[in-house]
Amino acid sequence: MLALLFILFAGMAIGCAISMVAQRNPLYSAISLIGVFISLACLYVTLAAPFIAAVQVIVYAGAIMVLVVFVIMLLNVEEEEHRPLRLRSLVPIAVVLAAIFFAETAFIIFFVHNAPNTPAGNVSDVGLTSSIGAGLFTSYLLPFEVTSILLLMAVVGAMTLARRGGLIGANVGLVPGQASYARETLNPLAYPDLSEVAARTSREVEETLDVAQAPHQHNEE
Amino acid sequence: MAPQLSWYLALSAVLFTIGVVGVMIKRNVISMFMCIELMLNAVNLTFVAFSSFFRDVTGQLFVFIVMTVAAAEAAVGLGIIIAIFRSRESLDVDDASTLKL
Repeated sequence: MLALLFILFAGMAIGCAISMVAQRNPLYSAISLIGVFISLACLYVTLAAPFIAAVQVIVYAGAIMVLVVFVIMLLNVEEEEHRPLRLRSLVPIAVVLAAIFFAETAFIIFFVHNAPNTPAGNVSDVGLTSSIGAGLFTSYLLPFEVTSILLLMAVVGAMTLARRGGLIGANVGLVPGQASYARETLNPLAYPDLSEVAARTSREVEETLDVAQAPHQHNEE
Repeated sequence: MAPQLSWYLALSAVLFTIGVVGVMIKRNVISMFMCIELMLNAVNLTFVAFSSFFRDVTGQLFVFIVMTVAAAEAAVGLGIIIAIFRSRESLDVDDASTLKL
Protein backbone atom coordinates (compact mmCIF):
# COMPACT_ATOMS: atom_id res chain seq x y z
CA MET A 1 0.00 0.00 0.00
CA LEU A 2 2.74 2.43 1.00
CA ALA A 3 4.72 1.36 -2.03
CA LEU A 4 1.76 2.15 -4.28
CA LEU A 5 1.41 5.57 -2.66
CA PHE A 6 5.14 6.18 -3.06
CA ILE A 7 5.04 5.27 -6.74
CA LEU A 8 1.98 7.46 -7.29
CA PHE A 9 3.37 10.56 -5.59
CA ALA A 10 6.91 10.07 -6.87
CA GLY A 11 5.55 9.83 -10.39
CA MET A 12 3.52 12.98 -9.83
CA ALA A 13 6.56 14.79 -8.47
CA ILE A 14 8.86 13.76 -11.33
CA GLY A 15 6.20 14.48 -13.95
CA CYS A 16 5.48 17.92 -12.55
CA ALA A 17 9.22 18.66 -12.27
CA ILE A 18 9.85 17.72 -15.90
CA SER A 19 6.82 19.75 -16.91
CA MET A 20 8.21 22.71 -14.96
CA VAL A 21 11.51 22.59 -16.80
CA ALA A 22 9.87 21.98 -20.18
CA GLN A 23 7.33 24.80 -20.01
CA ARG A 24 8.25 28.05 -21.71
CA ASN A 25 5.71 30.19 -19.94
CA PRO A 26 6.91 30.95 -16.38
CA LEU A 27 3.35 30.91 -15.06
CA TYR A 28 2.84 27.31 -16.18
CA SER A 29 6.21 26.43 -14.62
CA ALA A 30 5.03 27.94 -11.34
CA ILE A 31 1.84 25.88 -11.37
CA SER A 32 3.82 22.71 -12.13
CA LEU A 33 6.14 23.56 -9.24
CA ILE A 34 3.12 23.80 -6.94
CA GLY A 35 2.26 20.26 -8.09
CA VAL A 36 5.76 19.12 -7.08
CA PHE A 37 5.35 20.71 -3.66
CA ILE A 38 1.97 19.06 -3.08
CA SER A 39 3.29 15.63 -4.08
CA LEU A 40 6.29 16.07 -1.80
CA ALA A 41 3.93 17.00 1.05
CA CYS A 42 2.03 13.74 0.45
CA LEU A 43 5.34 11.86 0.52
CA TYR A 44 6.16 13.50 3.86
CA VAL A 45 2.85 12.21 5.20
CA THR A 46 3.75 8.68 4.13
CA LEU A 47 7.10 9.19 5.91
CA ALA A 48 5.21 9.94 9.18
CA ALA A 49 6.18 13.62 9.20
CA PRO A 50 2.83 15.45 9.39
CA PHE A 51 4.25 18.73 10.71
CA ILE A 52 6.74 19.07 7.86
CA ALA A 53 3.99 18.16 5.40
CA ALA A 54 1.73 20.92 6.73
CA VAL A 55 4.57 23.46 6.73
CA GLN A 56 5.45 22.40 3.18
CA VAL A 57 1.94 23.18 1.98
CA ILE A 58 1.61 26.40 3.95
CA VAL A 59 5.05 27.92 3.40
CA TYR A 60 6.09 26.57 0.00
CA ALA A 61 2.88 25.97 -1.91
CA GLY A 62 1.21 28.86 -0.12
CA ALA A 63 3.51 31.75 0.69
CA ILE A 64 6.53 31.37 -1.59
CA MET A 65 4.64 30.37 -4.71
CA VAL A 66 2.07 33.12 -4.21
CA LEU A 67 4.99 35.54 -4.07
CA VAL A 68 6.49 34.08 -7.26
CA VAL A 69 3.18 34.13 -9.13
CA PHE A 70 2.60 37.68 -7.93
CA VAL A 71 5.96 38.79 -9.33
CA ILE A 72 5.29 36.97 -12.62
CA MET A 73 1.96 38.78 -12.96
CA LEU A 74 3.48 42.09 -11.88
CA LEU A 75 6.33 42.01 -14.36
CA ASN A 76 4.17 40.58 -17.18
CA VAL A 77 6.80 38.04 -18.17
CA GLU A 78 6.63 36.95 -21.78
CA GLU A 79 7.36 33.45 -23.01
CA GLU A 80 10.92 32.49 -23.80
CA GLU A 81 11.70 32.34 -27.46
CA HIS A 82 13.68 29.58 -29.12
CA ARG A 83 17.34 30.32 -29.51
CA PRO A 84 20.12 28.45 -31.28
CA LEU A 85 22.09 26.15 -29.06
CA ARG A 86 25.58 27.36 -28.30
CA LEU A 87 28.49 24.95 -27.79
CA ARG A 88 26.85 22.21 -29.83
CA SER A 89 30.15 20.31 -30.00
CA LEU A 90 29.93 19.56 -26.28
CA VAL A 91 26.74 17.49 -26.62
CA PRO A 92 28.48 14.08 -27.07
CA ILE A 93 30.70 14.76 -24.05
CA ALA A 94 27.61 15.59 -22.03
CA VAL A 95 25.94 12.34 -23.09
CA VAL A 96 29.00 10.32 -22.03
CA LEU A 97 29.21 12.08 -18.66
CA ALA A 98 25.50 11.55 -18.06
CA ALA A 99 25.86 7.84 -18.86
CA ILE A 100 28.71 7.56 -16.34
CA PHE A 101 26.61 9.37 -13.76
CA PHE A 102 23.63 7.06 -14.28
CA ALA A 103 25.89 4.00 -14.06
CA GLU A 104 27.27 5.20 -10.73
CA THR A 105 23.79 5.88 -9.41
CA ALA A 106 22.55 2.45 -10.49
CA PHE A 107 25.56 0.82 -8.85
CA ILE A 108 24.87 2.60 -5.57
CA ILE A 109 21.18 1.77 -5.62
CA PHE A 110 21.52 -1.91 -6.50
CA PHE A 111 24.71 -2.95 -4.77
CA VAL A 112 24.98 -0.95 -1.57
CA HIS A 113 22.78 -2.30 1.21
CA ASN A 114 23.93 -0.55 4.34
CA ALA A 115 20.78 1.47 4.81
CA PRO A 116 18.32 0.50 7.53
CA ASN A 117 15.26 -1.05 6.02
CA THR A 118 12.81 -0.33 8.79
CA PRO A 119 9.96 1.61 7.21
CA ALA A 120 8.45 4.59 8.93
CA GLY A 121 5.92 3.15 11.33
CA ASN A 122 2.98 4.74 13.00
CA VAL A 123 4.40 4.16 16.47
CA SER A 124 7.15 6.70 15.84
CA ASP A 125 6.63 10.10 17.44
CA VAL A 126 9.54 11.64 15.56
CA GLY A 127 7.51 13.72 13.14
CA LEU A 128 5.00 15.08 15.61
CA THR A 129 4.81 18.78 16.29
CA SER A 130 5.58 18.36 19.98
CA SER A 131 8.86 16.53 19.40
CA ILE A 132 9.91 19.03 16.73
CA GLY A 133 9.11 21.92 19.05
CA ALA A 134 10.98 20.29 21.92
CA GLY A 135 14.04 19.80 19.75
CA LEU A 136 13.81 23.29 18.32
CA PHE A 137 13.68 25.04 21.68
CA THR A 138 16.18 22.94 23.62
CA SER A 139 19.20 21.59 21.78
CA TYR A 140 18.75 23.67 18.62
CA LEU A 141 17.85 27.00 20.17
CA LEU A 142 20.83 28.85 18.69
CA PRO A 143 20.05 27.91 15.04
CA PHE A 144 16.46 28.92 15.69
CA GLU A 145 17.50 32.38 16.89
CA VAL A 146 19.94 32.76 13.99
CA THR A 147 17.02 31.92 11.72
CA SER A 148 14.99 34.75 13.21
CA ILE A 149 17.86 37.18 12.58
CA LEU A 150 18.07 35.88 9.01
CA LEU A 151 14.37 36.58 8.50
CA LEU A 152 14.78 40.10 9.86
CA MET A 153 17.68 40.72 7.46
CA ALA A 154 15.60 39.33 4.61
CA VAL A 155 12.74 41.71 5.40
CA VAL A 156 15.04 44.73 5.48
CA GLY A 157 16.89 43.59 2.35
CA ALA A 158 13.73 42.97 0.36
CA MET A 159 12.34 46.38 1.30
CA THR A 160 15.60 48.09 0.35
CA LEU A 161 15.97 46.25 -2.94
CA ALA A 162 12.42 46.46 -4.19
CA ARG A 163 11.86 50.11 -3.27
CA ARG A 164 11.20 52.34 -6.23
CA GLY A 165 14.32 54.32 -7.00
CA GLY A 166 16.72 51.66 -5.83
CA LEU A 167 19.24 52.12 -3.06
CA ILE A 168 19.13 55.91 -3.26
CA GLY A 169 16.00 57.97 -3.05
CA ALA A 170 13.94 58.83 -6.10
CA ASN A 171 14.39 62.57 -5.55
CA VAL A 172 18.20 62.43 -5.65
CA GLY A 173 20.04 63.24 -8.85
CA LEU A 174 23.33 61.43 -9.32
CA VAL A 175 26.18 62.96 -11.30
CA PRO A 176 29.05 60.59 -12.15
CA GLY A 177 32.17 61.52 -10.24
CA GLN A 178 30.32 64.07 -8.17
CA ALA A 179 28.40 64.05 -4.97
CA SER A 180 24.66 63.47 -5.02
CA TYR A 181 22.31 66.42 -5.07
CA ALA A 182 18.63 66.80 -4.50
CA ARG A 183 17.04 67.11 -7.91
CA GLU A 184 15.34 70.41 -7.06
CA THR A 185 18.61 72.17 -6.25
CA LEU A 186 20.60 70.65 -9.12
CA ASN A 187 21.27 72.91 -12.09
CA PRO A 188 20.69 70.49 -14.98
CA LEU A 189 22.36 72.69 -17.60
CA ALA A 190 25.74 72.39 -15.91
CA TYR A 191 25.98 68.68 -16.71
CA PRO A 192 25.60 67.46 -20.32
CA ASP A 193 24.68 63.95 -19.19
CA LEU A 194 21.55 65.28 -17.68
CA SER A 195 20.26 66.93 -20.85
CA GLU A 196 17.26 64.62 -20.78
CA VAL A 197 16.46 65.76 -17.28
CA ALA A 198 16.92 69.35 -18.39
CA ALA A 199 14.62 68.88 -21.37
CA ARG A 200 11.98 67.25 -19.23
CA THR A 201 12.27 69.94 -16.59
CA SER A 202 11.94 72.76 -19.11
CA ARG A 203 8.99 71.02 -20.75
CA GLU A 204 7.30 70.72 -17.40
CA VAL A 205 7.97 74.39 -16.74
CA GLU A 206 6.43 75.33 -20.09
CA GLU A 207 3.37 73.22 -19.43
CA THR A 208 3.00 74.80 -16.05
CA LEU A 209 3.28 78.24 -17.59
CA ASP A 210 0.73 77.35 -20.28
CA VAL A 211 -1.72 76.15 -17.68
CA ALA A 212 -1.13 79.28 -15.63
CA GLN A 213 -1.46 81.62 -18.62
CA ALA A 214 -4.49 79.95 -20.14
CA PRO A 215 -7.17 81.76 -18.09
CA HIS A 216 -5.25 84.98 -18.51
CA GLN A 217 -5.33 84.71 -22.32
CA HIS A 218 -8.99 83.83 -22.17
CA ASN A 219 -9.66 87.01 -20.29
CA GLU A 220 -7.84 89.09 -22.88
CA GLU A 221 -10.03 87.72 -25.65
CA MET B 1 6.47 -4.25 0.08
CA ALA B 2 7.17 -1.06 1.96
CA PRO B 3 9.23 1.67 0.33
CA GLN B 4 12.92 1.50 1.13
CA LEU B 5 15.17 4.38 2.04
CA SER B 6 16.95 4.08 -1.27
CA TRP B 7 13.71 4.79 -3.14
CA TYR B 8 13.40 8.17 -1.48
CA LEU B 9 17.07 8.93 -2.09
CA ALA B 10 16.69 8.02 -5.76
CA LEU B 11 13.62 10.24 -6.09
CA SER B 12 15.51 13.06 -4.39
CA ALA B 13 18.46 12.63 -6.74
CA VAL B 14 16.15 12.70 -9.76
CA LEU B 15 14.42 15.87 -8.57
CA PHE B 16 17.74 17.55 -7.79
CA THR B 17 19.09 16.65 -11.22
CA ILE B 18 15.99 18.06 -12.90
CA GLY B 19 16.53 21.26 -10.92
CA VAL B 20 20.17 21.49 -11.98
CA VAL B 21 19.21 20.92 -15.62
CA GLY B 22 16.56 23.63 -15.31
CA VAL B 23 19.05 26.14 -13.92
CA MET B 24 21.39 25.33 -16.80
CA ILE B 25 18.94 25.50 -19.69
CA LYS B 26 16.57 28.23 -18.54
CA ARG B 27 17.19 31.83 -19.59
CA ASN B 28 14.46 33.45 -17.52
CA VAL B 29 15.49 34.59 -14.04
CA ILE B 30 12.19 33.58 -12.46
CA SER B 31 12.32 30.10 -14.00
CA MET B 32 15.88 29.64 -12.70
CA PHE B 33 14.68 30.79 -9.30
CA MET B 34 11.93 28.16 -9.30
CA CYS B 35 14.46 25.47 -10.27
CA ILE B 36 16.53 26.46 -7.23
CA GLU B 37 13.43 25.98 -5.09
CA LEU B 38 13.03 22.52 -6.62
CA MET B 39 16.61 21.63 -5.63
CA LEU B 40 15.98 22.80 -2.06
CA ASN B 41 12.92 20.57 -1.95
CA ALA B 42 14.90 17.58 -3.16
CA VAL B 43 17.33 18.10 -0.29
CA ASN B 44 14.41 18.44 2.11
CA LEU B 45 13.09 15.08 0.96
CA THR B 46 16.45 13.51 1.77
CA PHE B 47 16.41 15.04 5.24
CA VAL B 48 12.90 13.84 6.01
CA ALA B 49 13.57 10.34 4.65
CA PHE B 50 16.70 9.92 6.77
CA SER B 51 14.94 11.40 9.78
CA SER B 52 12.05 8.99 9.41
CA PHE B 53 14.13 5.90 8.78
CA PHE B 54 16.65 6.58 11.56
CA ARG B 55 13.92 7.82 13.94
CA ASP B 56 15.83 11.00 14.69
CA VAL B 57 14.09 14.36 14.82
CA THR B 58 17.18 16.38 13.84
CA GLY B 59 16.58 15.98 10.12
CA GLN B 60 13.13 17.50 10.35
CA LEU B 61 14.49 20.42 12.35
CA PHE B 62 16.93 21.08 9.56
CA VAL B 63 14.08 20.90 7.06
CA PHE B 64 12.37 23.62 9.08
CA ILE B 65 15.50 25.78 8.91
CA VAL B 66 15.93 25.11 5.19
CA MET B 67 12.36 26.26 4.62
CA THR B 68 13.09 29.48 6.51
CA VAL B 69 16.16 30.06 4.38
CA ALA B 70 14.07 29.39 1.27
CA ALA B 71 11.51 31.96 2.37
CA ALA B 72 14.22 34.56 2.99
CA GLU B 73 15.78 33.70 -0.35
CA ALA B 74 12.42 34.12 -2.06
CA ALA B 75 11.91 37.58 -0.56
CA VAL B 76 15.38 38.89 -1.34
CA GLY B 77 15.64 37.12 -4.70
CA LEU B 78 12.35 38.47 -5.97
CA GLY B 79 13.36 41.94 -4.77
CA ILE B 80 16.56 41.64 -6.82
CA ILE B 81 14.56 40.38 -9.81
CA ILE B 82 12.25 43.39 -9.61
CA ALA B 83 15.24 45.74 -9.35
CA ILE B 84 16.86 44.11 -12.41
CA PHE B 85 13.63 44.33 -14.35
CA ARG B 86 13.30 48.03 -13.51
CA SER B 87 16.77 48.85 -14.76
CA ARG B 88 16.90 46.58 -17.83
CA GLU B 89 13.26 46.02 -18.84
CA SER B 90 14.09 42.33 -19.31
CA LEU B 91 14.33 39.16 -17.26
CA ASP B 92 16.80 37.41 -19.55
CA VAL B 93 19.99 36.42 -17.77
CA ASP B 94 22.04 37.16 -20.87
CA ASP B 95 20.93 40.77 -20.65
CA ALA B 96 22.10 40.92 -17.05
CA SER B 97 25.61 39.59 -17.62
CA THR B 98 27.22 42.54 -15.87
CA LEU B 99 26.59 43.47 -12.29
CA LYS B 100 26.80 47.18 -13.14
CA LEU B 101 23.41 48.80 -13.28
